[in-house]
Amino acid sequence: MSFTPKTQPYNGKINAVTLGTGDQAIVIGGQNVLPFYTFDAPIEHAPKIGVEVSDLAGEWTAPEIRAFYEGCVTMADYAKKAETMPGADFICLHFESADPNGANRSVEECVADAKAVAEAVSKPIAVMGCKNIEKDGELFSKIAEALQGKNILVLSARSEDYKTVGASVALAYGQKVGAETADDINLAKQLNIMLKGLTVPSGSIVMNVGTAAVGYGYEYVASTLDRVRTAALAQSDADLQMPIVAPVSPDTWSVKESVATEEDAPEWGSQEERAIDMEVATAAANLTGGADAVIMRHPAAVATIRQFITELV
Amino acid sequence: MKVLFQIEGGGAIGVECNAGDNLLELARRANVAIDAPCSGNGSCGKCRVKLVEGDLASLPTRHISYEEFKSGWRLACGSKIVGDVTVFVPDIASAYQSRMKTADLSSPQEVAIFEEAQEALRGSGVEFSNDCMALELKVEPPTLQDTMPDNERLTRAIQDQLEVERVEIPHSVMVRLAHVLREEGFHITVKGLFLGDVFRCMDVCPASDKDLVGCAIDIGTTTVSMVLADLNTGKILAKGSSGNGQIRYGADVINRIIEQSRPGGRKKLQDAIVKETLTPLIAGLCKAAGVSARSILRLSVGANTTMNHLFVGVDAQSVRMEPYIPSFFAWDGLLAGDLKLPANPLAPVFLAPNIGSYVGGDITAGTLASMIWDKDEYSLFIDLGTNGEIVFGNRDFLMSCACSAGPAFEGGDISCGMRATDGAIEACVLDKATMEPKLTVVGDKGQKPVGICGSGIIDIISELFRCGIINNKGLFVREGRRVRRDQHGMGRFVLAEPEQSETGREISINEVDIDNFIRAKGAIFSAIDTLLKAVDMSVEMIDRVYVAGGIGSGINMKNAVNIGMFPDVELEKFRYIGNSSLTGAYAMVMGDQAVEKVAQVAANMTYLELSTHPGYMDAFVAACFLPHTDARLFPHSRQEV
Repeated sequence: MSFTPKTQPYNGKINAVTLGTGDQAIVIGGQNVLPFYTFDAPIEHAPKIGVEVSDLAGEWTAPEIRAFYEGCVTMADYAKKAETMPGADFICLHFESADPNGANRSVEECVADAKAVAEAVSKPIAVMGCKNIEKDGELFSKIAEALQGKNILVLSARSEDYKTVGASVALAYGQKVGAETADDINLAKQLNIMLKGLTVPSGSIVMNVGTAAVGYGYEYVASTLDRVRTAALAQSDADLQMPIVAPVSPDTWSVKESVATEEDAPEWGSQEERAIDMEVATAAANLTGGADAVIMRHPAAVATIRQFITELV
Repeated sequence: MKVLFQIEGGGAIGVECNAGDNLLELARRANVAIDAPCSGNGSCGKCRVKLVEGDLASLPTRHISYEEFKSGWRLACGSKIVGDVTVFVPDIASAYQSRMKTADLSSPQEVAIFEEAQEALRGSGVEFSNDCMALELKVEPPTLQDTMPDNERLTRAIQDQLEVERVEIPHSVMVRLAHVLREEGFHITVKGLFLGDVFRCMDVCPASDKDLVGCAIDIGTTTVSMVLADLNTGKILAKGSSGNGQIRYGADVINRIIEQSRPGGRKKLQDAIVKETLTPLIAGLCKAAGVSARSILRLSVGANTTMNHLFVGVDAQSVRMEPYIPSFFAWDGLLAGDLKLPANPLAPVFLAPNIGSYVGGDITAGTLASMIWDKDEYSLFIDLGTNGEIVFGNRDFLMSCACSAGPAFEGGDISCGMRATDGAIEACVLDKATMEPKLTVVGDKGQKPVGICGSGIIDIISELFRCGIINNKGLFVREGRRVRRDQHGMGRFVLAEPEQSETGREISINEVDIDNFIRAKGAIFSAIDTLLKAVDMSVEMIDRVYVAGGIGSGINMKNAVNIGMFPDVELEKFRYIGNSSLTGAYAMVMGDQAVEKVAQVAANMTYLELSTHPGYMDAFVAACFLPHTDARLFPHSRQEV
């Protein structure tokens, strides 16, 4: 007698959220099984990879990254090139230099960059800010307005600014909004409830439930992902069924494994390889934990994770 | 240098000092009562004083506006002496000491609750009998022929009436005996304990004085309540309450413990409760009842673990320090004379036993009074105070835990918060369309509001939430005439304009206040939740909820459920049982069986330490939301938007 495995799809289902428009649009989420459990039910929309393009990309020093983006000057140049990176599903613009405690680039300049990118690329766009609550609020609102109709994803609304970000990005300009919390299932759920309270539709919300590079308190991220996903699927908790986007590269490229030069840590080997390894390990951990999309930087890391996804789905 | 404190509605107190001395410390040294719930951290903004003459070096504070500063207002805790100075001290302190509205049996409702509890105790077979006895004796005077000394004379006279082998005459009786016998012409009453074979004298008095009085005391962190009762009949002779004099050493137990561990601190804290609070209260009640303090032959105390320690003068530091094991749980052998309480020095003082650092005698006495230990139905007992204590169980088992709710229920940590004295907003209803509030204020008719007390805050937050003015996190989401924002964008809801309030300052509740309160209610609910989960029970299994504590009298249960503070069970299941600690203490003072019973209840109670419980923090974060992150727990909570 042959063995027929019993399939166990859940009643709860992750919301399918579309980013971008036209034939380049992508869908994240939509499954009713645990990550890569294709033996329980087919996973229609495989996890996606967003390629990070920072307005400080000119300062990136990793040789392979430099080589890949050779000749790129403007953010649009970088984005156009990133779009061609094998494995890329969408582009994630990171406006680090808007930080008032850093370069403090003006909102107008950032918006102009975003517009230029939107004209140059056809893949969906996500936008990350500079972590300054006030600046991000203005920046997100202006970019969402300028890119109206492009169906972009804005990362992220936090409990401090969910009202301004949620109202402008999702309600006024019809874009998708990320809800960012720090490693706590209850806080994640509370923020979703509050966004829904503003009448932001569930289908316009994705979550960032907390990130960390592996080895840097990643246990908290892992257990949060686990609990959030289980609540969404097993308990059909509609306030937690939003797909999860994990911005991996901003974390992994700032830890000492990626930053320490070969002169400082000769026993650690190639700096670039270390950085790639950190990025791959963290992205893989996020995807197996429940992330529906990861944001990455290095072409080699993106290629590896692309292969990882392809083989598992 | 010299500071002169001009006390509103009172005299002036001067104290010598040095440059650099802290004004609040000086006030404490001089026994000037300044309300300082945060113990001088500068965080509560309650210790306001006004400069009359001279100057102070004061730190800037967000609690004093620029205009107020210009007109001389300062925070005592943030002010240092720079020279001779005269300050005006507002009469907030005496307000909470004398006019506090607490569950002290002053309303018919409280009396009914109290009597019902006594009936229930008797019904369950706890007899209210004790060994105290008053014997009227006619003793033959000594003559040249009859040369028996006084003590033998007394012994014989007692043995004539009672079949006892031995009569004990302690020193305190012996020293009075000769004088009383002769003063009263050898016709006296002897009071004492009839213990089978032994009669232990406690007092000798004039023949007419047959008063046998018991004194039951509830020592709360904030309030002290007391009843005097006739030890024969159980009749209540007098009742009263006052603020705990330790208040000026901090609003919560932690600050008091810190204060008592300073040099001389234990004595200061003990004096504050025994000399400054209990002594005048007992004296006042004795006067009202027409009995002498020496007639008090039994006392009982229901107090939390820290208050018990400070009351008897035992170092309470271990309550606060890991592994949180106090000096005593149950301890007997205490006599009134040990503490120099105004009572018969030989009168035993029964302390309701503590069962943990944060679940004390007030809870064991309260549990005794709640009768949940005698029922089949599953009951939840909640004592709301600075610490929230929860007991759950029935006749087969009892579980208890304590959580730190902070001072929010008593108006601390709230910008316009106050204790439930005159002028406190104790209830509030909002009009959904216009957002106009209808306020109920403690005090005589026409009393203008001064601030908001715990039950008022529950009502206001529940109403703001119901009307969609605040969201689940307590942030303002609706605009209107009464919703205002400061320069940082922080929202507040104005309940009374400056001209409508007693103080001339606006009375409002802001987002920080609401957040503080949400934490307090989150602590209570998550403690309930964790305790129930620990015994694998759900909210539906609760048959009855008993709510106790001074804050309880004004609580609107529906609103408390609406904000997710109490579990969402049928409102009929809630029962307010007033000051259950005092009720329990009364039972103990009346009868030895109740003393035994409370010891038994305490011994059978399992203490769950929440601070080390793995799920508690998670449950707490989930409960810090209106009504709760898991809305399914509160099907009856609603927002009308």
